[in-house]
Amino acid sequence: MVDKKYSIETENLNLWYGDFQALIDVNVQILAGEITALIGPSGCGKSTLLRCFNRVNERYGNVTTKGEIQVLGKNIYDADVSLPELRKTVGMVFQRPNPLPISVYENILFGLRIHSPLRSLTRAESDEIVEEALTSVFLWDDLKDKLKVRATALQLEQQQKLCIARLLPLKPQIILMDEPCSALDAKGTLAIEELMSVLAGTYTFLIVTHNMAQARRISSECIFMFLGELIEHRETQALFETPHNSKTADYVQMRYA
Amino acid sequence: MDKSKLVFHSIALITLGAVFLFFWSLIEKRDSVGPAAAPFPKLFGYLYLLIPVSLLAILLGVVCAFYVEERLTETSWLRRFIESEVAIFTGIPSLLYGLLAVEVFIACALGGLENSVGMLFYAEVLTFIFLVMPLSIRTTQAALRSVATPIRESAYVLGANQWQVLFNRVVPLAFPAIFAGGCRAMSRALATVALLIGIHTWGYTPNATLSAGIHSRFVLLLVAALLFSVLSSFLMEKSALLQYRK
Repeated sequence: MVDKKYSIETENLNLWYGDFQALIDVNVQILAGEITALIGPSGCGKSTLLRCFNRVNERYGNVTTKGEIQVLGKNIYDADVSLPELRKTVGMVFQRPNPLPISVYENILFGLRIHSPLRSLTRAESDEIVEEALTSVFLWDDLKDKLKVRATALQLEQQQKLCIARLLPLKPQIILMDEPCSALDAKGTLAIEELMSVLAGTYTFLIVTHNMAQARRISSECIFMFLGELIEHRETQALFETPHNSKTADYVQMRYA
Repeated sequence: MDKSKLVFHSIALITLGAVFLFFWSLIEKRDSVGPAAAPFPKLFGYLYLLIPVSLLAILLGVVCAFYVEERLTETSWLRRFIESEVAIFTGIPSLLYGLLAVEVFIACALGGLENSVGMLFYAEVLTFIFLVMPLSIRTTQAALRSVATPIRESAYVLGANQWQVLFNRVVPLAFPAIFAGGCRAMSRALATVALLIGIHTWGYTPNATLSAGIHSRFVLLLVAALLFSVLSSFLMEKSALLQYRK
């Protein structure tokens, strides 16, 4: 499954919020182990598309989805798909860091705890998992003495890194990010970007961003969406330098935003 | 106000009207017998029994609120019906309920229904449930809603199911506010009982020795109601701080 070239593939994906069609015939293939950026003006369906991939959209009610989404070769709308398992494989990071209001330590173990039988984790195991997760997001040195601190008391940048770290013990294949840096300052943004480029390869990243420079810096492929339609999907460099579509050209050159 | 909301409010009002008509018919029965001194000892016995009953009603309200908030969708007709009813019931002064309760009691007592004590008690219980439950439902719902969406979302995207989200995250955070709501409802019930005793003491009995004993109970109940009210505000404050910090 891991060797598959594409992590996510959609076929004629249509989505409605009530009567409003938010996604129109989206066909997209996301390369495994790469960072793909989703750009486009507000309300163009980027976040909606992102939220389709772990089926978190359904929680809002009044959502109709048609078409097919294959995640790691499996149609996620099949009847035998378990949502907890899907969400374990496809992690998500939100715009505003949203660690749970419990300790740093418990935040990292939360995902694992709900997926494993009660009290099956030993103290040593959980210590190791926490250290490993925090090390891979470069937080261990800063937080090793603060594991008991309430996660919501950390700096925003640390909170966002923690939100990434808490996905890792679940061994996801894909990490969805919905404007992960828009609540952070320049330093925090760079830190998250650096982290993403280190982790890319192990995980497939799909990132929604309004920051064009960011999309250019970190992504290897870029998707431009407009009013629910996928306009252009190419290598980042090519999309920014020689856009095929005039709408893409207008957007990447900031003629409207 | 949109059309459907109007419809639900009308249905709720009609139901309410029917309940009041029922009570009214009982009062009419009392009046046809003629005014007389109320059978006090019995009355107090019942009123004190009503305190555990209101506790039960609070619990029932909490359960109901959980069901409405977590299991029913915004557009579900049952949810809209319950919410309209709750909105109307919480708006009625508690004294009205209390008077109704006493009227029912006296109506039954004087209307030759003394043997059907069971039925009488159920009528009282119903009144108290009407008094306490809507408030309990409303405050619990507000508490559940106040647990921010990001917290729920972050648990969902880690693969938690609805029950895990509810019991691991939402309930612990909402608990102070739910408890505060219960205290408020309890305070309302106690104050009503106190007022009832007061009104009946000073309204019907000229007997000074009797009213002295009743007087102290009246004060005791009012103090208890006040304490519950203060406790509820204190808890609310606490939970507000909690919300702010997170």
